[in-house]
Amino acid sequence: MDFSDLSDEDLWLQMQDDLYDGMKEEVAAETREALTRGFSPQEVLGQGLVAGMDIVGVDFRDGVLFVPEVLMAANAMKAGMEILRPLLAETGAERIGTMIIGTVKGDIHDIGKNLVAMMMEGAGFEVINLGINNDADKFLEAIKTHQPDIIGMSALLTTTMPYMKVVIDALGEEGLRDTLYVMVGGAPVTETFAKAVGADAYGRDAAVAVELAKAYMAKRRAA
Amino acid sequence: MQPITYNLPVYDLLTVEGVARVHNMSMRILRELGIDFYDDEARDILRAHGADVRGDTVFFDEELLLKYVGMAPSQFTQLARNPQNNVNIGGNNMVFAPVYGCPFVQDRDGGRREATLRDFQNFVKLAYMSPYIHHSGGTVVEPTDEPVATRHLDMLLSHITYSDKAFMGSVTSGNNAADSVAIAEIVFGAERIREHPALLSLINVSSPRRFDDRMLACIKVYARARQAMIITPFILAGAMGPTSVAGTVAQLNAEALAGIALCQMINPGTPVVYGSFLSTIDLQSGAPTFGTPESQTALYISAQMARHYNLPFRGGGAFSSSKQPDAQAGYESVMVMIPTVMARTNFVLHAAGWLENGLVSGYEKFVLDCEILGMLHTWARGVDLSDEAFAMDAFAEVPPGGHFLGTAHTMRHFRDAFYRAELFDYNSAEQWELNGGHDTYDRASARVKQLLASYEAPALDAGVAQRLHEFVAQRKAAIAVEPRDF
Ligand code: B12
Repeated sequence: MDFSDLSDEDLWLQMQDDLYDGMKEEVAAETREALTRGFSPQEVLGQGLVAGMDIVGVDFRDGVLFVPEVLMAANAMKAGMEILRPLLAETGAERIGTMIIGTVKGDIHDIGKNLVAMMMEGAGFEVINLGINNDADKFLEAIKTHQPDIIGMSALLTTTMPYMKVVIDALGEEGLRDTLYVMVGGAPVTETFAKAVGADAYGRDAAVAVELAKAYMAKRRAA
Repeated sequence: MQPITYNLPVYDLLTVEGVARVHNMSMRILRELGIDFYDDEARDILRAHGADVRGDTVFFDEELLLKYVGMAPSQFTQLARNPQNNVNIGGNNMVFAPVYGCPFVQDRDGGRREATLRDFQNFVKLAYMSPYIHHSGGTVVEPTDEPVATRHLDMLLSHITYSDKAFMGSVTSGNNAADSVAIAEIVFGAERIREHPALLSLINVSSPRRFDDRMLACIKVYARARQAMIITPFILAGAMGPTSVAGTVAQLNAEALAGIALCQMINPGTPVVYGSFLSTIDLQSGAPTFGTPESQTALYISAQMARHYNLPFRGGGAFSSSKQPDAQAGYESVMVMIPTVMARTNFVLHAAGWLENGLVSGYEKFVLDCEILGMLHTWARGVDLSDEAFAMDAFAEVPPGGHFLGTAHTMRHFRDAFYRAELFDYNSAEQWELNGGHDTYDRASARVKQLLASYEAPALDAGVAQRLHEFVAQRKAAIAVEPRDF
């Protein structure tokens, strides 16, 4: 892939287009190209990746894009982020955030959770997806390994929803609760239930989950 | 209760060659890709009976699979507390059962809210009172006000107390399945339920290609007690299956047959139903969609596959994504119910009450769906070609240009000649307005209230009732001190 004949302006546009089209290799190559041209990791993130994903987000919301297209775009975003993340860390730039997400013990519903993970990645978050059927120990272990900012739990069964409280209590016992933002979701989960189990937020859908996460990270940076 | 038998031509959508192609593709999936079974004992059983087990994945060859599938009965009778309500499952028989699994309820006056045990009992009562619902169902709503660990006991007790129709067992854990069997033994007798099942329980395949530990624990309990099961791959095409009907049906077929074979390995002759719960997702949002035309095609084909293997078939239901019993709910539900009947579906779960993709049991929706079920009863009965039906005497009585309102033939038949919907309005516009200008939602709401107010419980033997309550009390006490396993 050769981008040398593109102006800087065109490179950003090309990057946004390729992101929209879910072209993983291209986006990775363009990310590298922009860095070689001397742009800071933060500039590459803002003008290329985030600008591109903003368009994807709007078109998904408006029903222009289909889920498989957003999935491809999120994967392309992830490819770009993998290159930028270590550089962003080096420069001490503000982190977008890390999230651990999983379906709780006894529950194997994961379509909604995976949509949330996909949209979060699309928004530049680093997402560790623990999959289905996770007990409190698995969450704790993953927290220790990945030092996330946000924990997301999904449950689709009224019989497994109470397990969210078990995990939240375990976080408390380990002294981890206060430094983590706990989001819960899943079709039968409600705002009231989220409050009752001591979560910080309830996310009605993937788009709301992203907004909540972004707002939390912004607040945390400001603090 | 009015039984429904299907006397119309069965709608076979595929040619013989088409059936063979679906079958062959399923065999390929089973042979080359296999199905995951998350239970050590289940895999041991499969291995001991000749399946090829590698890790969690089990591979089947055609001959082995068909040998065990062939052991399942093509028809069976499920016992009901009132023997007149026993249901035959298979052949030309159709059984309509209420909606299942919803954590919320909805009605005109109270809106959408979390379901309680009281709601559960109300739906059991409504199902009991409808002549067009043949079965009390299972989790008609999820009683979220009862503790999770003991809810199954309250649900079973409610089915037995408030209805005398057949009901379903719990599938939330192996222990809860065992409790269900124990309760059935109290009501029907341990020996009797081994001759004819008293429980029919819903085993979901966690598609794609995966049986989870809970479902396998329940399969083992129910098969050993010779209780019936519906083995249902639940596929939202696009997410849990491919976006094409042919591929999705081949997947469904492979998954259902694998589960059925396991049941037969555990206990040959265990009554099973080949289930198909197949719909689509909205690929623009990921949300489940019901009543889509593709899912109807898939329903017809899966019913045809079940007939091919000589197995009773479960499918369909009054599905809708709508939040209220509105136009969308009505159209979508009928879009599914007509193919459900024309496919000659033997067991129809969710035949009444379903709203919002299965998150909500609707009160008004329930009675409105029953109205459609009534019409389907008439339709499925087929055409009477007797001399009486050809009505020669009536023709002889009426001169050209005359009318039939007063003939002897009409006098013999007018009361039940045509299905009269109670909830649909046939008045003139003026009369309708004079009556208050109510829409179907209003009328259904009034009907729900009137039914619940006039409900009378069926008799229950005092000795049986006492033993049941003792059992439930004893289990609740035991569960209270058991370590809580989520
Ligand atoms: C698909 C499905 C399945 C599939 C799941 C496949 C998979 N890989 O996920 C299968 C077939 C495996 C399945 C199995 C079962 N299911 Co199911 N299932 C559904 C169904 C129809 C749709 C769920 C879905 O995927 N929706 C689409 C996604 C996109 O929506 P979503 O999950 O709600 O997610 C969105 C939001 O909620 C939110 N969100 C989700 N998670 C999170 C997390 C966070 C952190 C945040 C912020 C937001 C968030 O964002 C998402 C995207 O917008 C629901 C009914 C329904 N309408 O919800 C029943 C339903 C949840 N299932 C139900 C049941 C009963 C079961 C079974 C027990 C059935 C059985 N007898 O076997 C088993 C249980 C298996 C188990 N141990 O978990 C019941 C549960 C009700 C209850 N009583 O608790 C329901 C309501 C249906 C019903 N009426 O029976 N099921």
